[in-house]
Amino acid sequence: MQEEKEFIQELLNPKTQNQAFQKLLKEYQKPLYNHIRNIVLIHDDADDVLQNTFVKVFQNLNKFKGESKLFSWMYRIATNESLTFLNNKAKIGGVSSETLQNKTIDNLKADIYFDGNEIQIKLQKAIIQLPEKQQLVFKMKYFEELKYEEISEILGTSVGALKASYHHAVKKIEAFVTAN
Amino acid sequence: MKTFKLDNEPKIESGFKTPENYFDNFSARVMEQLPKEEPKTISLFSKRKTWIYAAAAILVLALTIPVVYTNFYSSSSEIDEATLENYISYHSTVSDADLVNLLDEKDIQKINVDLNIDDKLIENELSQDSNLEHYILN
Repeated sequence: MQEEKEFIQELLNPKTQNQAFQKLLKEYQKPLYNHIRNIVLIHDDADDVLQNTFVKVFQNLNKFKGESKLFSWMYRIATNESLTFLNNKAKIGGVSSETLQNKTIDNLKADIYFDGNEIQIKLQKAIIQLPEKQQLVFKMKYFEELKYEEISEILGTSVGALKASYHHAVKKIEAFVTAN
Repeated sequence: MKTFKLDNEPKIESGFKTPENYFDNFSARVMEQLPKEEPKTISLFSKRKTWIYAAAAILVLALTIPVVYTNFYSSSSEIDEATLENYISYHSTVSDADLVNLLDEKDIQKINVDLNIDDKLIENELSQDSNLEHYILN
């Protein structure tokens, strides 16, 4: 924690800022990319959102109070940016967010940056049927393998509620895959 | 149909891939997008400050001018009594009749009080006047 405080100071100091921010990029670009990609599904969209996320992180560094960890703060920004992106995209297309995501999954097979078989596409289709919060919890736990404590910090939900949420999600996914 | 159980299956990966070398160039691309010219913000701010000061100065001026204006006129618009009297007595177009016309009941009573001179004084005055006889006869 002390180390993180020093790192934040480096990020805020104009002399060390560039170097510190590059370090931040190297450390977080992959996990944040995976997090965003799991929400928006398409590589090009994930690339856009990831860039926006880092620019936003940079612009808001001076507002980061250190009340939460840098890690969960950045994940929170990435999550919000991803969800906003999806909503805007659906609005422009004049469809609901769910319809948009269903269509995207149908096109996944043709995506050169998707290397998956039938079961993977079926799993994605099952996830899309879930409420937004359950989708997030399932993706963060199952694909990203984050700890409940970490997810709790990012989403601001208690560990107990998250466990229940994940349990419901798994049940619904299993029922969907069995039926289809 | 066999019941699907996530825990019974080998871990299912998301299947998402990235273009080759994507992460090698990513940080450089982000660094290019970061806002760099911090002083610009400061100059914008100070410009705004100048406008605020200018507006304040104009406001103060606008509030002061009427005060000075009214003070100037109120001090010069009252004419002192002597000037007024001189004007009336030397102005040929103002006759006694004009002045009499301007007097009302109250003014006349005031004049009566002023003229309350005792009879002896009048007699004394008249007896000394050498023209009295001439006045009576005519």
